[in-house]
This record gives sequence, C-alpha cells and structure tokens, in this order.
Amino acid sequence: MDVMIQSILNGMLMGCIYALIALGLSLIFGVMNVVNFAHGNFVMLSMYFTFWVGTLYKIDAVLSPLITFPLLFLFGILVYYGLISRTLREHYTIQIAVTVGLMTFLGAITQLIWQARPRALAYSFVQGTIQFGSYTIALSRLISAIISLIIIMVISFFLARTWPGRAIRATSDDSSAASLMGIDFQKTYALAFGLGSGLTAIAGGLLMTFQQVDPTMGLRFGLLSFCILALAGLGSIAGLVISGLIVGISESLAMSFWDPRARTLVIYLIFILVLWLRPRGLFGRK
Amino acid sequence: MSSETILKTSQLTKCFGNLIAVKNVDLEIQRGEIIGLIGPNGAGKTTFFNLITGLEIPDKGKILFKNHDITFMSPHRICKLGMSRTFQVTRSFGEMSVEDAIRVGAYNRRGEKEVQKKVDWVIEFFDLSDIRRSKCNDLGLASLRQVEVARAVATEPDLLLLDEAGAGLTGAELFKLMAALKKLNQETRITLCVVEHVMPMVMGLCERIFVLDAGELIASGNPDKVCNNQRVIEAYLGGGISLETGFTG
Amino acid sequence: MNVFKKTNIGKLLIIFLIIFALFIPFILGSNQYQVLLATTVLLYGVMATSWNIIGGLAGQLDFAAFAYLGLGAYTSGTLLIRFNLTPWIGMILGGVIAAGFALLIGIPLFRFRIKEVWYALTTSALVEILKVSFNMWEEVGGPVERCLPYFSGSLLHMRFTSYIPYYYMMFAMLIIALFLNQRIASSKLGYYLKALGEDESAAEVLGVDTQTTKLKALLCYSFLIGMTGGIYANMYGYIHPSFFNGQETTKIAILGIVGGRGITYGPLLAALLLVGAQEYLRASLGGEFSGLYLLIYAIILIIVVLFKPRGIATFVQDAYKKIITGEVKNKDVV
Repeated sequence: MDVMIQSILNGMLMGCIYALIALGLSLIFGVMNVVNFAHGNFVMLSMYFTFWVGTLYKIDAVLSPLITFPLLFLFGILVYYGLISRTLREHYTIQIAVTVGLMTFLGAITQLIWQARPRALAYSFVQGTIQFGSYTIALSRLISAIISLIIIMVISFFLARTWPGRAIRATSDDSSAASLMGIDFQKTYALAFGLGSGLTAIAGGLLMTFQQVDPTMGLRFGLLSFCILALAGLGSIAGLVISGLIVGISESLAMSFWDPRARTLVIYLIFILVLWLRPRGLFGRK
Repeated sequence: MSSETILKTSQLTKCFGNLIAVKNVDLEIQRGEIIGLIGPNGAGKTTFFNLITGLEIPDKGKILFKNHDITFMSPHRICKLGMSRTFQVTRSFGEMSVEDAIRVGAYNRRGEKEVQKKVDWVIEFFDLSDIRRSKCNDLGLASLRQVEVARAVATEPDLLLLDEAGAGLTGAELFKLMAALKKLNQETRITLCVVEHVMPMVMGLCERIFVLDAGELIASGNPDKVCNNQRVIEAYLGGGISLETGFTG
Repeated sequence: MNVFKKTNIGKLLIIFLIIFALFIPFILGSNQYQVLLATTVLLYGVMATSWNIIGGLAGQLDFAAFAYLGLGAYTSGTLLIRFNLTPWIGMILGGVIAAGFALLIGIPLFRFRIKEVWYALTTSALVEILKVSFNMWEEVGGPVERCLPYFSGSLLHMRFTSYIPYYYMMFAMLIIALFLNQRIASSKLGYYLKALGEDESAAEVLGVDTQTTKLKALLCYSFLIGMTGGIYANMYGYIHPSFFNGQETTKIAILGIVGGRGITYGPLLAALLLVGAQEYLRASLGGEFSGLYLLIYAIILIIVVLFKPRGIATFVQDAYKKIITGEVKNKDVV
C-alpha cells in the first residue's frame, strides 16, 4: 500500500510537468489545427540545449529556461514561417508530413551531434529529498511540479486577460471571424507556435534537474503529449492538468507494479482506449 | 399525386449550445411531390437538411423515411435507403472528373457491369457531355451546380434534397436547372425538396411550401396561400415584400 | 486513370523493365551481398507500394509498416519454431495476424469525422510499442534473437542456400502489390476512396460508407506487408524485436509521399532511387552513418512536400504526357 501511494505521489508530480508539455501542443493544435509531430522532439531538443548551456556556462538547469525559452520560442516562430505556414492551404497529409519531416530531422540530428549515449547534468541546487510521513519526495521533482503548475496558471491568465492571448483564443474558435475583427492570423499562429515551443524549453529545463536525455526520448514525450491531449480534449486547461495527472499516475503505477519497460506501453493503451471509447476527450468542447 | 408519405418528421429539435436551430418541426412530404422549404437566413433550413440526411443528430424528435426510423442512421445508409442531397456551398470532388464524380454516386445502386450505363444516362439527362472529362475544380458555378445535382441523382434516390441549388445562377441557367428537375420529377416520380431564396424557382417549381423562421415551422400550404400569410411576410421583412419577385415594393 | 496502360509504348516499357529485373540476379553473379542489397531494395519497393493503398488511395498517413512486417515475421517464425509449420502457410497467417491487428486500430479511428491526424499519431507510435511489448514477451523470444530451425536448401521450409530465390519471391510480391494497386484504383473501392479523400461529408451522403471503405484499404495493405514479413523472417533466419524498427517505418511513409501518393508506380520509383542510393552508399562507405541517411530522408521529404507535394512521379507523368500527346495539360472549361 505504501509503495502504491509513493508511486502515485511521484506520478502526480511528473503529471504536472507532462501537463505543461501537453499545454504547448494544445496551444498549437487548438489554434491552427496542426498537430506538431515534432513536439516530443522539441522537448528533447530543449533538454539537450539545457545540457549544453549547463555544461558550457555552468548555468543551473532551473535557470536555463531564461536562455532556452527565447531560443525555442524563436525556433518555433522560424519553423512556423519557414515550414508550417506554407502548408496551411494544402491537403492535411502535407501538413502532417512536414512536421513528420521535422521530427525525423531533429531526431537524426540530435543523434549525430550528441550520439546515442545518455547525457545528464551535474548536480543542480535543487537536490535532496523531503519526507512526508513515510513517503519520500525528491525536491527536484516537487519544485519542477510546482513551477509547471505556476507556468500553466500564467499561461491561463495570459490567454484570458491579455490582448495577444485573447487573439489566440479568438483565432482558435473561428479564424475567419477573427481576421475580420482585425486579428492578423498569421502573427497569431506564429505566436501560438512560438509559445507552444517555448513551453517545451521550460519543461525540458525542469526535467534536466533529475533526468538524463538520449535521442530516443522524443517519441516518448510526443506520445505523452498526444495521449494527454486526446484524454483531455480541447478547450479546457484544467482538463489538461487533470489528464496530465492521470497519465503521470498511470505511468508510475505501471512502472512499479507491472514492468519498468512498460511505461510507454501503458500510455499507448490509455491512448487507444480513449480513441475507442471517447474520441472527444473527457473535457472536450469540440 | 400519390398519397403515400415518404418523409415525416415529428417534433424534430436541434440545439447548438444555447441556440435552438430547429424547434419542434412537424413536417410531412408525400411521394412524388415537389416541396419548397423557405425562410429567412438562419432559419434553420440547412440544419434541418443535415438532420434528415444524418449529418447531424437531433436532440429530440423522430424522422421517418419510407416508414424506416432514420433518426440516428448514418448518412451512407440513408443514401442506400433512397435519399440524397446537394450542398449550399458546393462540395465537389475537386480533383476528379465530372464523369468520375457522377460514377461515385452511381455505385450506390449499380455494380461494375451497369455503372457505366447509369453514368452515361445521367450525363445525357443533364446535358453534361461536353464537360464529362473536365476536372471539377475547373468548372464554373453553373456547371458545378449541375454536376452536384447530377451526382446526387446518380444514386437513384426516392427523395432528393436540394440546398440552394439556384443561388448565383443567371436566368438562363436557372431555367435550365428548373426544367431538368421538372422533367426528372415527371419521368421518374422522384420526390424533390428544395431549399431556396430564389423566389422564381420556388414559385415555378413547387406544389407546396413550408416556411421556417428561427427554427420553427410557421406556415405551410400552396404557394399563393403562403405568400399572403401575414407571419411569413413579417418574418422576411417588416412587411411590403412581394414574394413573387423577391423584391420589396 | 493510368495513362501508361493505354498505350503500346507504355506496355513495352513495362515488359522491358520486368525482363531486366528478372535478370538482375544473374547480372550480379555470385555476389550474394549484392543480391541481398537488391532484394532489400525490392522489399522497400513492396512495402512502399502496399503503403500506397492506405497512404495514397485512402489518404491516411500510416506509419505502421514495420509493425505489420514484424507481426508477420513473428507469426511465421514462431509457427515454424513451435509447430514446424511451413512458412508458405505461415506467411498467409502472418498476413492475417497483421490485418487483424490493423483492425484494432482502424475500427475506432476510421469512424466518420474522426480526423486523419489521430490515425497518423496512433500508427507512428505503434512500432515502438510493439518493440517494447515483444521485448517483454518471453514466450516468443523476448530480447534474444530467436533463430529459425536450420535447413539447408529446403523448399518446404522456405530456406535456401542463396539469396536468389528470396529475390524472386520479393519480386513476385512486388508484382502482386502493383497489380492490387491498379485493380483497386479502377474499381468501386478506388472511386469511393478518392471521393472520401476529396470530401468526406459529400461522399457519405452519396452512399460511401467511409469507415468500411477505409478499412478495406487498410486490410489489403496490412495483409500484404504481413505476408512479406513471413518472407523477411526466413530470409534472415531469425526473429527479434528489432524488426519493429521505428526509423525504417517512417522511411516507408516518406517513400510513399516523395514518390507520389496515389500513383501506382510512384512509391516504387522513390524506393528504387532512394533505397537504391542508400544501399549503394552503405556498401561503399560502411554502415556507421544510419543517422545520416535518416537525416537526408527527412530533408528530401521536407523539400518535396514544400515544392512538389504530389511527388516526384509527377515529373515522369508530365514528361510522358508531353512526349505522347504533345498536349498542354488543363484545358479551362467554364
């Protein structure tokens, strides 16, 4: 029983970070109806950037988003104008194909540059553990989860209260009506893409405080975010967080009670189950 | 006119969030009739069509087609039963040729051996021989509308729904379409239900007219009776509209 | 629909190509390595051409090719190891298992109005998931290579002392795949697939059962590849979870898109060019650079998708039309 609760606790913490990653994907999908297949690889790329920045300039992983966020944000905007915008009017398979190409490209290039062996950072200042009764929680995970939730709330506020944020919401509801209202939908799309990508930088930095990175992780994070997106449906950030928690807990329980190798398998099973039973997601609007 | 009911809706209702698009509509169409469905923009006519053809699911009510309950039936099965439609904004199979598009419809009832004959018949009937090999994307509006109607007719429906098939057509094109539809009804006893804003088409073609306003059925009957119905006149404008010509004054 | 078939020059060209292909093993002589390379090129040709049924005709981006190959290989191989069942039957069963698996994915995802992107997502993860699952599944071998029983030159057990018979088997599969592509494209199934690719709602109200139609295409594709998996297992003589290769499965879709979705010979053309070049380079430079090849594939995909989205086979189509008819395409008709 103790093992189960410990497992659930760990899963919840991871779930918060996963929700942050999924939020990035949701922004892009919700706004312009493009699924960025490369999203998982963006996370992996951010982790590599964090590693690079951390090793080269000795910057702690938690602070690295100060550098990596603008990097990924700009990268997202570049990708949007360079690749995505050209395919918006084409057949949907073309749109998918271009992000698949990007995903393959990033996967291949990270493998060439950093090779197959895993990379990790030396100790971050958020080391150590906390005791809650008989349960142990790694400080790095706790802080990562808290920061993730804070960022999610910030984005939520941004979408609800600020002008660019409202533009994003309007465009995702109805892009032609939005453009009639004077919203430049190209700029809004670019902003959404950049923002969605930038969020992966934050998540990547947080993950690097307690994880290592290797070239195969892109698929795992991709599958995670798609699964959370499918589970949550579109339109509710709270739904996204709850789905993130569900997925995190399931992964953790599977690793503890079934088989550590089964971590992605269980995510996939959830994904398939959602598609079979409730394709609109638990909290979906559209 | 035969007295067999081909389509009957009871208390048909559809809401989109807080908006009630179709409200408690009770409607009956007899086999072989040419029916008009009119009403101001946003009255719910296209939603009504979507409900009957299975593209939307009603929140309340029943739809009976040829005595089958098709309320929750999928669109392709409804087509197999004998109902087909055209769309308000033409939904053509852009990259396909006219002939191929019609063939898709013809496969509804015909196997490989007979399908070419059916395609040829439809092309002949709608006078499309000149453009049979043209890509749908290359066609002008009038031709596109003809092709859409032809495509739907190729499925050999008992009931054909036409959603604003006359919109944007010039006088001659309109006349051609109307003549084809009349001929079709006379030769094959097909039932037609026409949603239209183009009044000459409605008046010239339809035996009975239903009027929708804000989702509700507010009038029905022969064209003259409907034209002079006070509620109908108020629904379109504040009054003073001559429904014969579609202009005020 | 296919201009080639309608003229004599096209027919002559096809016959010439077939004869040439049949003689390749003898041209290469006793160099077994090169025969294996040629067979590998054919393998990718078979897979890409089969992919065309789901990816080109049905318009669904599918990344599960190596999932079905692996399933077919494991089915045929395991039945041979456990029950001494001849792979000639095992191959068929491999196709059945692969097709059955495909149904598990297809049925929920092909319902009316479910977006194509979910199919692409689901299939893209499938290969990795199967790799993990088979790694964990001890009964059929787990992470260890399971060797097929050794027979020297047994037709019954599909084991030969040379790669040449496998070459011809692969070639036969290719012919089957091409033939199936053609037959489907000109049949009711083909017209229905094209229609739902253009406009799903319009197709539905014209009587097209979109779910069943897509499932039919999926079953053809997965069955073909499952069968090919049976040949694959016997060619290499073992089964292993690495058959579920995530990198290679993406390549199949890339070949299909780059070659020309929906054009019968399009993916084959891409396979001959790209895989041929890759295998040739691999023979000359060595196998260290698999990441580099993948990078090049990705770049080619992006370039083709942005600038020639209908695939490189359209170059051939346009050239052919110009030579034969001298006509400029697209007469504008109002």
